[in-house]
Amino acid sequence: MSEKLRVTNLVKTFGTNNVLKGINLTVNENEVVVIIGPSGSGKSTLLRALNRLEEPTSGSIVIDNVDIASKEIDIDTVRENIGMVFQHFNLFNNLSVGENIMLAPVELKKESKDQAAQQAKQLLKTVGLEEKFNATVQSLSGGQQQRVAIARALAMDPDIMLFDEPTSALDPEMVGDVLAVMKDLARKGMTMVVVTHEMGFAKEVADRVVFVDDGQILEQGTPDQMFEHPKNERLQDFLNKILNV
Amino acid sequence: MTQKIVKAIGWVTILLATFFCIAQTTVSAQAKTYQIGTDVTYPPFEFANKQNKYVGIDIDIMNAIAKEEGFKVNIKPVGFNAAVQSVQSGQLDGVIAGMTITPDRKAKFDFGTPYFRTGVVMAVGKNSNIKGFNQLRGKRVALKTGTAAADYANSIKKKYGFKTVTFDDSNNMYEDVTTGNSVACFEDKPVMQYGIKQGLKLKIVTAPANTGWYGFAVKKGQNKELREKFNTGLKKIQTNGTYDKIVGKYLGTKTNPKVKGKTFTIGTDVTFPPFEFANKHNKYVGIDMDLIRAIANEQGFKVKIKPVGFNAAVQSLESGQIDGVISGMSITNARKAQFDFSKPYFTSGVVMAISKNSKITKLSQLKGKRVAIKTGTSAADYANSIKKKYGFHTVTFDDSNNMYQDVTTGNSVACFEDHPVMKYAIKQGTKLKIVTKPAESAPYGFAVKKGHNQALLAAFNTGLADLKASGTYDNIKATYLGTDDKGSVNKTAANDSGDRSFIGLIKQNQGALLSGLKETMWLTIVSIFFATVFGIIVGLLGVVPSKFGNGVSSVLIYIFRGMPLLVLALFIYTGIPSLTGQKIPAFIAGVVTLTFNEGAYIAAFVKGGINAVDPGQMEAARSLGLPFGKSMRRVILPQGIRIMVPSFINQFIITLKDTSILSIIGLMELTQTGKIIIARNLEGFKVWTIVAIMYLVIITLLTWLSNWVQRRIKV
Repeated sequence: MSEKLRVTNLVKTFGTNNVLKGINLTVNENEVVVIIGPSGSGKSTLLRALNRLEEPTSGSIVIDNVDIASKEIDIDTVRENIGMVFQHFNLFNNLSVGENIMLAPVELKKESKDQAAQQAKQLLKTVGLEEKFNATVQSLSGGQQQRVAIARALAMDPDIMLFDEPTSALDPEMVGDVLAVMKDLARKGMTMVVVTHEMGFAKEVADRVVFVDDGQILEQGTPDQMFEHPKNERLQDFLNKILNV
Repeated sequence: MTQKIVKAIGWVTILLATFFCIAQTTVSAQAKTYQIGTDVTYPPFEFANKQNKYVGIDIDIMNAIAKEEGFKVNIKPVGFNAAVQSVQSGQLDGVIAGMTITPDRKAKFDFGTPYFRTGVVMAVGKNSNIKGFNQLRGKRVALKTGTAAADYANSIKKKYGFKTVTFDDSNNMYEDVTTGNSVACFEDKPVMQYGIKQGLKLKIVTAPANTGWYGFAVKKGQNKELREKFNTGLKKIQTNGTYDKIVGKYLGTKTNPKVKGKTFTIGTDVTFPPFEFANKHNKYVGIDMDLIRAIANEQGFKVKIKPVGFNAAVQSLESGQIDGVISGMSITNARKAQFDFSKPYFTSGVVMAISKNSKITKLSQLKGKRVAIKTGTSAADYANSIKKKYGFHTVTFDDSNNMYQDVTTGNSVACFEDHPVMKYAIKQGTKLKIVTKPAESAPYGFAVKKGHNQALLAAFNTGLADLKASGTYDNIKATYLGTDDKGSVNKTAANDSGDRSFIGLIKQNQGALLSGLKETMWLTIVSIFFATVFGIIVGLLGVVPSKFGNGVSSVLIYIFRGMPLLVLALFIYTGIPSLTGQKIPAFIAGVVTLTFNEGAYIAAFVKGGINAVDPGQMEAARSLGLPFGKSMRRVILPQGIRIMVPSFINQFIITLKDTSILSIIGLMELTQTGKIIIARNLEGFKVWTIVAIMYLVIITLLTWLSNWVQRRIKV
């Protein structure tokens, strides 16, 4: 398994607030890494730093041997290869479902509209929303929107996918559909970094679980190690709280 | 959706354009050739030039009228007596030959409108000190036998005690004066003027005596059509300046080559009748206007009249935006420090006027009372100079109508005004009466910026002297103030007393109001276009990820939104040219003003609209690899614009209303048009009502449009 992404000494501060205090993390090709941790621990910031939606204060983020934290890098090109899915979906409200998916391929890959539409329909099929191609964003349920958002991220054919609490804003009955799509992706070998509170998903799909608290990685390991034999006291505490509701 | 807006704006433009379409048709008269008799040689009225072609004042006037009225003339220089007889016998259709209108001749001929005033003048050597008849006692005077001038000299010879010597021709008579044998000679004025123009070393020192008018004659009861065509044609060429050009060509001093062919911009007041005011056709007329146009014609330059208001005119002159000011401007020492003045062209006097039923008759009754004056006038200076002595307070207005209004409503007990202006206003129906005799005030002069435009000033002075000599100056004055010897003409100034109902006023001023509305719409459309461009650029600058850009945007919005529109307009129109020495046309200054001011508001809501779009939209777009610009264009702006549309339409309406403020720099938009119409007819209430309704109609249409657009873009 070759190394896909390596984060070294990543620090992020907002004013005097140290959100990330020197993170070191490696993600291998085809690996699914799930980041867990209490709210405000810095896990979302860490994820958002991976495509520089948050500018790192210091440290390096090397993807395919290129340090993307460097100012010289053209971040837009880098982002074409990193798909991202947001908690609140963030579908473009001014565009239809199909157009949401087609926008980036047409604008950036200079694909023809027909080509892009063809691809969009294909992607909608894989997320089970084939019939929604012409629908408006506003007419979809939250779960449907999130699946479209995943299709939109996949349209650029990325080799890493970042998920920022993708099911947190959904009604419980919608969560399953979205997770199913994600599981499917993982099965197909997509390299994924997922911030989530879905421990079931983590147990079932993750190759590795990373526990972040107070801007630091306190423990990481296989789901079995993490959930069944947690060593760190704070991880034990955290698992107690969320598993025994 | 943006296309929908563009489409909508396109429709409004078309809608408005149809408003302004006024079809005009012209009917051309059928050409007919008339036979006109004239004298063989009577310079400067008719004579053969070097090319043996007949020219002269009579000939040129006849040809100009024929051209104007679309008929043809065949000029026959058969000699004065032969011409007169041929007309009587029906051989010729008319005669134009320096023919004085006399009761005897009226019995046999029908005369057209008098076209030239003549009279006997006295001329002396160029360096002579003699200025009047009473300096002639005991001296020798040269005369030419058998002339009207000689008859006149003989009739006053005894009274003034001079001796006469008689010559057979004019040249010898002139020579006798230039050599100093005689001290003076008597001659018909135009003949004398022409001689001087041709190089005689003489000068005219007296006003024309025994004056009479030349007329064009047809046989009594015949050729009525020709006579009427002559009259309408004459009126036309007198109005369009051709007449003065012709007279100036033969009698004026040589045109000043320094000003010839140039165009000068002359500032004047909006409302100072009878010196400057817009007539029914919305053309600026009045003593000042007619005078400057006549001088321009005579001296061969062109003028562009800018009725911007007295204060604005004076400021524009100081800043070099305009070349000169003629605006009933009194020559005072304070003003001499800033401006160079021409020779005085009019001497007025200040009077006090009170409400019709007021009992005040004397200055001494003003103690403790409030008196209305108008800024910058000599009447105001006079009132201020006697304020202490008589113990009254003053309140200052920017234009005459408001000042009169203040007295008629009783807020002030009296106002001070130049005599001719007050008289004219009362004639127009202002409910005031004059109670004092004209007090001395400084004479009016034409002004240029100190040390600048000296050629124009010199041309004005020469032109003024020429017009005084030719009688045109007196004619102009008579047109507006009336005189003894041409009583009929002073009606022209007062003939605006037509229908004063709403419908009557609308009918009379239809053209002016529509062109004002057009200017307002143009200003609005052009300004909103540039303001939108400016506003979007500045607004976007406020949201780009650049601290510098954000700062520039905030500062621009702060400055232009924080400055009153009026101050900004004056700063751009009169301030910038003072700094750079570069003139700015008023329309451009107006558009620039609105672009900055309205643009700042647009920038603020563009910025706000973009910021109101969920930041997650931008993050999602950027996470896909779309650069900032593309994300803006494809995702953020389309959503932001939907938020901004109501504000845009609101700003369009505000801009339309704000154009009215630009009347301060003299733009002839709807509000300024209203001011000018009121300056003429003093129907403030009715005209402002009409103007207000026009604004409301347009704004109602715009509001409907905005509702429609908003409905259309709602998804």
